[in-house]
Amino acid sequence: MISPVLSIVVKVASILFFIFIINMVRIKKLELKYALTWILTSVSFVVMALFPETLYFIAGLLGVELPVNALFMSIIFLLIMIVFTLSLAVSRQALRIKTLVQEIGLIREELARKSIEEEQE
Amino acid sequence: MRTLIIIPAYNEAKSLPALFDALKKAPVACDIVVINDCSTDDTEAVCRAHGVRVINLPVNLGIGGAVQTGYRYAWNNGYDAAVQMDGDGQHDPRFLKLLLSRIQEGYDLCIGSRFIENEGFQSSAARRLGIRYFSWLIRFMTGHRFSDPTSGYRACSRGLIGMFAREYPKDYPEPETIVAAHRNKFKITEVPVIMNPRREGTSSITNLKAVYYMIKVSLAIAIASIRKGGSA
Repeated sequence: MISPVLSIVVKVASILFFIFIINMVRIKKLELKYALTWILTSVSFVVMALFPETLYFIAGLLGVELPVNALFMSIIFLLIMIVFTLSLAVSRQALRIKTLVQEIGLIREELARKSIEEEQE
Repeated sequence: MRTLIIIPAYNEAKSLPALFDALKKAPVACDIVVINDCSTDDTEAVCRAHGVRVINLPVNLGIGGAVQTGYRYAWNNGYDAAVQMDGDGQHDPRFLKLLLSRIQEGYDLCIGSRFIENEGFQSSAARRLGIRYFSWLIRFMTGHRFSDPTSGYRACSRGLIGMFAREYPKDYPEPETIVAAHRNKFKITEVPVIMNPRREGTSSITNLKAVYYMIKVSLAIAIASIRKGGSA
């Protein structure tokens, strides 16, 4: 069983983490789109910290012997989800940046050509 | 047929003048554009001194992004054909006419191949082995044999310029684009060319990167051949 001190630490930490995430969205440092997975994660931390029965229930449901293993499993699952959404976001950003860089190059060349033509006139 | 020569260049100030001189002697009427991929040497100044158009990229995009900029330029300015060639002097402008003649005949992509006549610079044995492997992989995927799938000396039709302008792989693009073009029903052919060993600089593919290169390109070829509709 979990020690009382650790239990309090986990409860406080999970609530602080939830407040931290919400505040990041509030001050617009974190986009709501990416915040969703983090909010989901922090809410589930809070639920599992305040009501450990949910964890035992999930563990029983999946036939996992140690509830803590069910906890690790769900955390790993959430982390994989978050990392994957980040990879998606990075890929999309890379494509957009590439297009923008190309467009800047093309526009600058056009400008240079136009100014040469004007000089000749 | 309005033709554009696309030369991607990263720190090629030393080898570009010879290429420009050779291009001016080439028996084909064409415009030249150099894509300066954020070089740290005098690449831009050399182009300006020779009166060659240059597109300066504000950020280094790598070979794929640079070449695609050229295709977008060709598309925006209504060119009927485009030839991409390396800025390091490996590709001889003598073969431009031959490459372009196939585009005029109705082909969409014409690849300059070192391994039809097996003349000139043939690359190292290790690289030839790698090229043969890609050639085999592409034949396995598409049913067609291309003797020099990594050749960056190639001519494209207006139709293919449009596809490349929209989508082009980021790095090591050559083998992948063949599969993507084939997948999109473009007509592909190859002609024999003679390549020179590079005059200056070093290949972008070092031994350390070779394994990564093989795996990445294999994956890219496999994905490109099962991709529907889209392209590279």
